[in-house]
Amino acid sequence: MAPETDHESDSESTAIPVGATPPAARIALLPDVLRNKIAAGEVIERPASVVKELLENALDAGARQISIDLEEGGARRICISDDGRGMGPEDLALAFQAHATSKLTQLEDLDHISSLGFRGEALASMGSVARCSINSRPAEASIGWRVEVHGGRHEPLREAGGPRGTQVEVGDLFFNTPARRRFLKRTSTELGRCLDVVQRLALAHPGVGMVVSHNGKRVFDVESSMDLRARVRRTFGGELAAALVPVSGQDGPLRLFGFIAPARFARRDTSRQMWFLNGRFLRDRVLVACLREAWRGSLEERRQPVAFLHLNMPPEAVDVNVHPAKSEVRFREQRRLFSFLLRTLREAILDTDLATPGERLLDIAQRRRSAAAEAGALLPDPGGLPRGAGQASSEVREVPGADVAELPQLSALGSLQESAAGHRGLVGSGDSAADSAADSAPGAASGSDDSEADTAAWRARDDFAGPFLQVDRTFLLRALPEGFEVIDQHALHERVTFEEMRRDLAAGALESQRLLVPELVEVGRADLELLKGHFEALGAVGLELEQFGEGTLAVQALPARLRQVDCEGLVRDIIELLAARGRTPVAEELLEEVLHRAACRASVMSGDELNEDEIRSLLRRAREAGHDQTCPHARPTRVRFTRADLDRAFHRR
Amino acid sequence: MKVLCNREKLREGLAITNGVIPTRSTKAVLENVCLVATDDTLELVGTDLEVSVRYRIDDVKVEEPGPAVIPSRVALDFVRDLSGETVTLETKDGNCFITSGADSCELVTVDPDEYPVVPRFDAEKQLPLQGGILTRLVNQTSFAAAREPGRYAMHGILLAIEDDCLRMVGTDGRRLALSSTPVDAGKGEWAPVIVPAKGMQLFCRVISDPLDTIHLDLGEHQIGMQTQNAEIFARLIDGEFPRYAAVVPTDCEQSLEADTELLNKKLRLVANVTGEDARAVKFKLKKKELELFGQSIGRGEATAHMEVAFTGKAAEVAFNPDYVLDGLKNCEGDTVRLEFKDRTSPGKFTLGENFVYVVMPITVDA
Repeated sequence: MAPETDHESDSESTAIPVGATPPAARIALLPDVLRNKIAAGEVIERPASVVKELLENALDAGARQISIDLEEGGARRICISDDGRGMGPEDLALAFQAHATSKLTQLEDLDHISSLGFRGEALASMGSVARCSINSRPAEASIGWRVEVHGGRHEPLREAGGPRGTQVEVGDLFFNTPARRRFLKRTSTELGRCLDVVQRLALAHPGVGMVVSHNGKRVFDVESSMDLRARVRRTFGGELAAALVPVSGQDGPLRLFGFIAPARFARRDTSRQMWFLNGRFLRDRVLVACLREAWRGSLEERRQPVAFLHLNMPPEAVDVNVHPAKSEVRFREQRRLFSFLLRTLREAILDTDLATPGERLLDIAQRRRSAAAEAGALLPDPGGLPRGAGQASSEVREVPGADVAELPQLSALGSLQESAAGHRGLVGSGDSAADSAADSAPGAASGSDDSEADTAAWRARDDFAGPFLQVDRTFLLRALPEGFEVIDQHALHERVTFEEMRRDLAAGALESQRLLVPELVEVGRADLELLKGHFEALGAVGLELEQFGEGTLAVQALPARLRQVDCEGLVRDIIELLAARGRTPVAEELLEEVLHRAACRASVMSGDELNEDEIRSLLRRAREAGHDQTCPHARPTRVRFTRADLDRAFHRR
Repeated sequence: MKVLCNREKLREGLAITNGVIPTRSTKAVLENVCLVATDDTLELVGTDLEVSVRYRIDDVKVEEPGPAVIPSRVALDFVRDLSGETVTLETKDGNCFITSGADSCELVTVDPDEYPVVPRFDAEKQLPLQGGILTRLVNQTSFAAAREPGRYAMHGILLAIEDDCLRMVGTDGRRLALSSTPVDAGKGEWAPVIVPAKGMQLFCRVISDPLDTIHLDLGEHQIGMQTQNAEIFARLIDGEFPRYAAVVPTDCEQSLEADTELLNKKLRLVANVTGEDARAVKFKLKKKELELFGQSIGRGEATAHMEVAFTGKAAEVAFNPDYVLDGLKNCEGDTVRLEFKDRTSPGKFTLGENFVYVVMPITVDA
């Protein structure tokens, strides 16, 4: 007998009668308690998973206000109280049974799951690894009931008074599985993870108020009346929240709404990229890829955009029963979804301000002027209490409330808000009032409308009068109202050429200049074969290639807009691109990519001296081209510095 | 060194050498002009290592022969602004004094040994040519030479002597200008050479009288030219020049003749509307009429009509108007002839006797 089997039969000795004959039956059904304990390993990993499961239950029960009380990062005690539907005695009796759920009744239900949970595993798993109790009273009942389970041992159901809704308490998590308990991290880490879960669900469910307290201190809260932008502000700070650009689109039953942040907020990781599918937080590769594709050309590769997006679709169009934590899903009509998302996101991305530091330039001037004037009119909130004031005080409350030594994540959060507040402070004293007024406005997007109009008006007035300063034959400097901008001449020219070529292409008028003598480029046989399949597609962008002997390529014509073309470099770029794309490059994508490369190869290089007329004409063309904030490789074309940035640099404030 | 010379002649000489001398160079000594006084002549030497020039001023009074290397630009400016008729150049204690009447300046000199050696014109076989003809050929071809970085050979002008004919060709890969003149090449064999366009233009500047005979020498590494009182050399470009003979079309079906002035005017008119970067003007040919049509997305379109003499079928071809205008500017005659085969083949403009200009068309939806 192998030693492993020895071990196995040891552990299962209670279930298997030790027989005399060696090849006795070694496979047996596990008892329920053990089964649930094993399942708990999958579903319940740490306090944060308990918080997630219980919060989702509360949300599924239609709660409007949920409070989460934690002790020692949730390891000692997690108590979640909601004001939802509640459960009667019959439901409570079954609550801790495995695969007992109110959310599914028959097989067909699996095809259109609209609740967050549905497996019926969570409570049973918790019951087997912790001391749990549930108090619940349905709204219509006059008396509540209580059920307790300690490490899988069920106590009898009994009557108990209590408020409407359900309170679930999970204490001493993993008290009977010491191995698992040892894997828990420090209190601050576990608390951070719990908060992460709560914050995500808070962003996923505007309309539901949540309060988290830890060891009796309040550490996070959102009011039920706060919309998505206000929730982002509360969670990630005012600077990000103020810069968010709304996204909104609808295609039949598909609806996408939420916010994206300008490129300067992009991060290395996707932790600020939140997708909510019908209120469920998702970490789906398709959606992440979609967001990145939408930003392609406006954000450097390797940087991850920040976004908070709600996607609503009929439950039957998506299969959520793929992953135990339900963070991955499968879409039924992926192509249609993808193109819808892409379209909607790109629209919004064009609205974002890509100039790197600072805010939208004219926002500042606009706010300074309008804040004082509008503050008075905006303050009286139709809801009764002036929300701006309440919000401000809750922000203040959060910072000292956090135990700095114990809660590094929270204090970081606090300082972020603090710095954000400082940043806004420099704009003017009336600013924060205007900000919170913008938050309370329905739709949450109205705040920047005026200043956008103002920016547009200024753009129209701007006659590029100069003076200009060319720095090191690479950068152009020019003054703006309330600041100045630095332009990367190569990047801007590249973008302008690219946009003009793209416009020509769309109008079917891409002109191609034929060459007197073809330029020969030696590419080798393999690459020539690769290219040959795409001669026609390349011809459509004005690049006419022909085979010229073995392994040599003749460039017969080039796009007429391109001057100073480095044919060889261009051809090599294209080969590289085709090789990287594999066998099936989408024609349109290929063209776009070739345009990128071609524009780049033929642009004003850094190092070219430009006179004032040339600069002016470049800027004018950039304005006509529209999309001019980044070069086609997503490097910024211009960086703006505001008066405020200068003030800060000179310690004037 | 001490020399007395005519101010105007000195100014002229300095102006010519200054055309070659770089204003800013990594080798500071090149920013100077080298003056050498020998019996009754003063020689001015300038070089940027690509192009070198020697200019000789006769009828000077040399009191003390010797060299002096002085800053070129300052010397030129000072001599130009002097008012006297004669100028004295004198070196003393490492400085050079330029004096005219009561006015004088003192310039720092550089050790003459530091100045690079510039060759002398002493070719065995020379090609005699009228100066004005060389100037004409250069002007008719240099405008088509490439200015943008790219194939280096196209930054030069090709000079080829074949069949008792001197040909010059300038091209940037999209258009090509070919101009030629009969010469007496003698018996010698001349390999074609590529000369930097800038060098070629400096050659022309040295030619003071178009009727004077000049002499050309096509060497292996440099081209030299000798005029009455100047010698100039340019380093050749080593590279492969497009085979110009193959480029000039021979099988043109459409042919039109137009008034140069009018075509120039109408083309400019239409080109006002076409874009800044991508510009194409369509030449639409019908019986006896040429329609010019230009269009720019986001700007508008323009049309112009003119009468032309036309043989062939109705046809259409589009060119970059800048290219065509460049050619028309250099056109010798009152009429210009355009021949082409179809919309994707080169257009051949005949701009004068022995002067052909080929422009590649622009095609939309290839």
